[in-house]
Amino acid sequence: MKYRPSLPEQNDNVSHEHPLREFFVLLAGLCVIGAIIYVILGLFIDAAVDHISPETEQRWFKKTSINAAIAQMIDEDKKAESFESELFDSLKACANIDYPINLWRVESNAINAVALPGGDIIVFSGLLDKLKSENGLAFVLGHELGHFKHRDHLKGLGRGIVLTVISSALTGSDSSLTALVSPVSMLGQANYSQSRESAADIFALEILNCHYGHVGGATEFFESILNEHKDVWELAHYFSSHPEVEKRIENMSHESNTRGFVDAKTITLTK
Amino acid sequence: MTELIIFAALISLGFFVGQYLEKRHYASIQMREKQLINLVTTTSKTPVGDVGEISHCTLVSGNAVISIDYFKRIVAGLRAIFGGTVRSYETLIDRSRREAILRLKESCPEAAQIINLRIETSSVFKGKKNDVGSVEVLAYGTAVYIK
Repeated sequence: MKYRPSLPEQNDNVSHEHPLREFFVLLAGLCVIGAIIYVILGLFIDAAVDHISPETEQRWFKKTSINAAIAQMIDEDKKAESFESELFDSLKACANIDYPINLWRVESNAINAVALPGGDIIVFSGLLDKLKSENGLAFVLGHELGHFKHRDHLKGLGRGIVLTVISSALTGSDSSLTALVSPVSMLGQANYSQSRESAADIFALEILNCHYGHVGGATEFFESILNEHKDVWELAHYFSSHPEVEKRIENMSHESNTRGFVDAKTITLTK
Repeated sequence: MTELIIFAALISLGFFVGQYLEKRHYASIQMREKQLINLVTTTSKTPVGDVGEISHCTLVSGNAVISIDYFKRIVAGLRAIFGGTVRSYETLIDRSRREAILRLKESCPEAAQIINLRIETSSVFKGKKNDVGSVEVLAYGTAVYIK
């Protein structure tokens, strides 16, 4: 037996396909599957939330301490003060909401108001400082009541859970993959929540019109934000899931025009 | 967003640097394989052909540890979801195997033949959650020297 030295003409042990091709094909496949599951489960969540009565919601999300919930949200240890307001009760009547919702005021620079599952609305003092009229405050409260009316707070929570479950199920074995998928899925979430914010804006317009007979002061908060361009970066975290401010103002004035809501003088806010 | 930027930076670094290093490694492998082509290396248990009078034999080994880049790791992670040929690991194994055999040959340039060649593979580093990080290939055999 004679030994004949030779080298193979080509390397059959490796694929010669471009590695980027495989990457993009797999990534696209993963995104499509994730998106389909997310949309389907999202619709299930929406349908299921409509069957959760406010009483059940309160039982499920009963908070032992509102302060603990707030500390988690703003990373600051702040006390919430209960905030009784006739205005709020009247707005609630306009919104046709007959279950109890607690209104809280928190000292914080956060320019924000949030609706929490279990029937709590938290208004941060940073937002109150920006408001000049009672109508402006009524709009913000109406907006949060809109979230309760549309059950957005539960839907948002449910979708958030779905997203976490999908991304960890698809990429559970590989934490670096989760880093890839989570920002992509956040885009979808932000998009969904923008449509909910718009719906809540319009609901707030209806409430203003019901309570005052006009919608004056509705855009006050957004306009004061626009006037302070230098603060816009600080606000980026709040608006990331809210349609751009200008677009929201535009949407609202368009909606007021089509519904025949009128603008009128606002009432100065007594703080 | 910051997460995504870090991820994109890591994956492009892995892709471009990884591709460059791999190309360079393959060029080196091919050149050295040509240089050492005449050192007979077989899996046969006896020397092939008529080698003449054998003076002595020694155990020789060559060993290479090579890691995959970040890009390949991600592709392999995606592949693990869908199944199929893990193409991104193919060059890792191929390069390690050829490098190990080359090192084995380079360790005994005076030998007449290397017989009974064996190759073993093991993963030497498992990253987070058992991701394969790098692979070790050990090639060993018997170098036969003639008088």
